[in-house]
Amino acid sequence: MAIYSFWIFDRHCNCIFDREWTLKTNPSSGTTNSKLNEDTAKLLYGMIFSLRSISQKLGSLDSFNEIRTIATAKYRAHILCTASGLWFVLLSDLKQEDLSQVLRYLYSEIYVKTVVYNWLSPVDFAETANEKRGQGFRKIRNRQFLLAVEQFLGPMVN
Amino acid sequence: MSASTNSVPNSSTGSKKSLKAFSDDIWKNKTAKINAELFTLTYGSIVSQLCTDYERDFVKVNNQLFLMGYNIGMRLIEDFLARTALPRCESLAKTSEVVSKCAFKIFLNVTPQVGNWSSSQDAFSLFLDENPLSDFVELPMDAAKELWYSNILCGVLKGALEMVQMDCDVFFTSDVLKGDQTTELRVKLNRVLKDEIPAGED
Repeated sequence: MAIYSFWIFDRHCNCIFDREWTLKTNPSSGTTNSKLNEDTAKLLYGMIFSLRSISQKLGSLDSFNEIRTIATAKYRAHILCTASGLWFVLLSDLKQEDLSQVLRYLYSEIYVKTVVYNWLSPVDFAETANEKRGQGFRKIRNRQFLLAVEQFLGPMVN
Repeated sequence: MSASTNSVPNSSTGSKKSLKAFSDDIWKNKTAKINAELFTLTYGSIVSQLCTDYERDFVKVNNQLFLMGYNIGMRLIEDFLARTALPRCESLAKTSEVVSKCAFKIFLNVTPQVGNWSSSQDAFSLFLDENPLSDFVELPMDAAKELWYSNILCGVLKGALEMVQMDCDVFFTSDVLKGDQTTELRVKLNRVLKDEIPAGED
């Protein structure tokens, strides 16, 4: 089982969190919140955005045809889109058929409990109109959140 | 479709019963309970403190309660979605059902009646037969005219609906505390907001 990276995008198309794991032997290596404004985040967002629009057009009007996974030859992207416009994305190897439960846990047990319940943390990471529509730079720095993500996903990395 | 939509009742067939069962289950198994009297009294002391702070200017108190609710609603929606995993509603009728049978049930354990639809189907009312916020409450003479005691609920709904891209006006039109027959909370949909798209994509 291998997870390569974890990303969160907010309702303003901004990447508000990323965590990449690199070394298989050392799960604490890799980077956190370093790729928010790099092309990778934007391209990942763009890919999901496009495929999501198409899948919704293919679905009928009364049922939501929400995108769940995208597979390439080496990667699988697992996606959870909430009604409030948050996207949780995990990149894994191809052996992971379905990580939707993992994503749901990340949302309901980690994000909600450490970011949403935390009144000192913003829930809207764009403070001005200029930071909307993918132009933002703020990110989740909350230590509880970082710790919880590490504890939960760390063991699954290798 | 999200993975958990399987457990979510379908809107077209038998939704009333299954949405109720679905909400009952969440209320029973996924909701931390607190003492209702403690909750009522805590809210009461907040309102009473606000009345003192604003020197009994009840319009300001209403606004402040609304604002407090708005900030709560913006966060509460994530809690709600995390528990229910519901997708966006396809119609306002569905929204009204989810709000009354699911949201009110989960957070306050009451189920207001939905009614009084406008002719253009863009506004409805929630009739709060029971209101846990206002148990034991009697408004003083000077407050009875202007104060909307439970105005925090309007703010919560406004904030929560806005986060799922529904721009609504939410306000009380009557309250039993003021001597009215019913407690009626009106929700009027102004427009459905568009999801943002990245700059340069349009």
